Amino acid sequence: MNLLCVSISHHTAPLEVRERLWFSPEEIRSFLPNIRDHVSVDAAMFSTCNRTELYAFSSDEQPLEFDRLRNLLAEGKSARDIPADSFRFLTGVDAVDHLFRVASGIDSLVIGDVQILAQVKEGLFLAQEAGTSGFFLTKLFQAALRTGKRARSETRIGEGAVSVSYAAVELAEKIFDDLREKTALVIGAGEMAQLTAKHLRGKQIGTLYISNRTPERSKHLAAMVNATVIPYEQFKDHLGGVDIVIASVAAEEYVLTSPMLAEINKRRATGALFLIDIGVPRNIDPAVRKLENVFLYDLDSLNGLVHENELKRKNEIPKVNRIVGEEQSEFTVWLSGLHATPTISALSDLIESIRKEEVEKNINRFEPRDRELLNLVTKRIINKILHTPIVNLKNGSDENHSERLHTISALRKLFGIDGEKDAEHEA
Amino acid sequence: MGFFVDSFNILLPAFYFIVVWTYGKAFFGDAVWAKAIKSRLLISTVSFHFLYLLGRAIEFNHPPVTTIFEILSVLAFCVAFAYLIIEIRSKSGETGYFILNIAFFFQFVSSVFIRDLLEVPEILRSNFFGLHVGAALLGYAAITISAVYGFLYLMLYHQIKASNFGMIYAKLPNLETLERMSYTGFKMAFVFLGIAILVGFLWLPKTFLDVSYSDPKLVGTILLWLLYGIGIVAKRLGEWKGRKVMILSVWGFGITIFSMTVVNIFFSGFHNFY
Repeated sequence: MNLLCVSISHHTAPLEVRERLWFSPEEIRSFLPNIRDHVSVDAAMFSTCNRTELYAFSSDEQPLEFDRLRNLLAEGKSARDIPADSFRFLTGVDAVDHLFRVASGIDSLVIGDVQILAQVKEGLFLAQEAGTSGFFLTKLFQAALRTGKRARSETRIGEGAVSVSYAAVELAEKIFDDLREKTALVIGAGEMAQLTAKHLRGKQIGTLYISNRTPERSKHLAAMVNATVIPYEQFKDHLGGVDIVIASVAAEEYVLTSPMLAEINKRRATGALFLIDIGVPRNIDPAVRKLENVFLYDLDSLNGLVHENELKRKNEIPKVNRIVGEEQSEFTVWLSGLHATPTISALSDLIESIRKEEVEKNINRFEPRDRELLNLVTKRIINKILHTPIVNLKNGSDENHSERLHTISALRKLFGIDGEKDAEHEA
Repeated sequence: MGFFVDSFNILLPAFYFIVVWTYGKAFFGDAVWAKAIKSRLLISTVSFHFLYLLGRAIEFNHPPVTTIFEILSVLAFCVAFAYLIIEIRSKSGETGYFILNIAFFFQFVSSVFIRDLLEVPEILRSNFFGLHVGAALLGYAAITISAVYGFLYLMLYHQIKASNFGMIYAKLPNLETLERMSYTGFKMAFVFLGIAILVGFLWLPKTFLDVSYSDPKLVGTILLWLLYGIGIVAKRLGEWKGRKVMILSVWGFGITIFSMTVVNIFFSGFHNFY
């Protein structure tokens, strides 16, 4: 298989190098035909904040040139000065294995990253749009997407929050049944407050209030997450009606004290009060932990949760590796079946077995003297039927390789020829 | 029929054990096969249990609620059946292991100690008796389920408070769901015990000559019912929420078991099982 992968990722290059080779979807759309024009290959690629990967497939026997593809990739972003050791090159089965590992999230910076599968899918979509995906790369990417989906559904590689802001929201979901019926108050408008507010909105929180010392920043964040602004001086008046409070302001003293929350907790009609303190120094008096139905989490406890989730995800890697192995061998079997010789052999065997079965079923209806003739005639019929397709398959080397693979694949699918049997034939 | 009843009396605890073990494998071991078959095993066991109770009623010609051990078997059935309904309606089977352990325990004790009563007093064949005992049993089943969910709530509450994000945290439903399930059982317990007490007050004086309103079991049940009533009022008024109500539901179960065992055996007069 003449497949090559050129990859630059967090394994091989720092962010300042990776960002120079980041391609937007529009750039990928215009770059892929360029590759095809220069090197006559099928090509597909995807680009994220942690990696840019180009997959090229050629029907020529001549191996693909790493340097040529790397230079084309670098030229695409006017970054020819990026050193060669910032790239990783993989060929054949290693490239297949790599793509499957990437799609399943175990090669990501954040193990089990959920975004990567969508990015691989987008890579296939862009290549199809640009007309450069070809039959082989389409099948390869589809197999990678299936691997990624299996990894997520059959293992816990994507479970548990691995960012502090998302961990806070996940904790809220362990306390409250339906966030759509809950009210949250975000005190502060810094980066962490923004991220948490976005996650809460993503989980369709019922009502979201923003309160910050600087009203402009409150308004800006409120516009981003469709929230209501509360003047900073008044946020305490709203505490009786909220279920979730996220505090992230720069303050020397506690913004929420234990006596204040004890008083509010008494007046509250609803159940639990969930407090997230992501301020440094802390915004909420730790003594509120002693209050009944009040749950307080600070950065340390959230980091602890994130760390535990990361460990759990790492423990799932062997299971994902098993899935990657299964999918890779299935893909290899499928690919090996796409050679003309085993396909012809499998097709002949299939038709011959049907002929034999039918002859055996009906042989007693014929006089003994005619039985030999029956065998002969039925063999001639199937030989004549198979003659043209077999000749076309054998002589099909002139047509485009991608089309040829497509024809063989369609034929195998049409006749239900099992790929594994052919692999055994090959062996 | 006798052979059928005797066989099922031995087999039922084994069936419940297999069900509990399978639910445990699904919860703690994440076993795919266990997740796939656990509900079907429970449905089969509950069906066999129903046939067993029906068989007992036909074989001994009285409802199977005349001895404490028959009652325990009916209670095991009620708990398992109620859980099955909860699982089907909520489409969530994570809590089965905890609830069905109680059903297994009740059935195990029942199977070990149960006696075959062929002759029972005529009063035990009365419709009022059926209504009285039926309502009380439904109340006890509701108390049991409320207590188990209350217990799970308290476990998860403490784990979240202590930032202990282990298996219980990962697998149990959220606190509000556990509280709602427990509180539903809590309210059902209040209603059914209320019916049992009301029917008892109307029917007992006409049936028992030695009726005494100061009977410890009667007093205990009324106090239990009042306790549940106080809990409901306090929650409605917003005085009690979350943890306090759950603690009450667990205590309610403890008092019920005490009332059914120690008080029933050692202190109760007319109001006794056979």
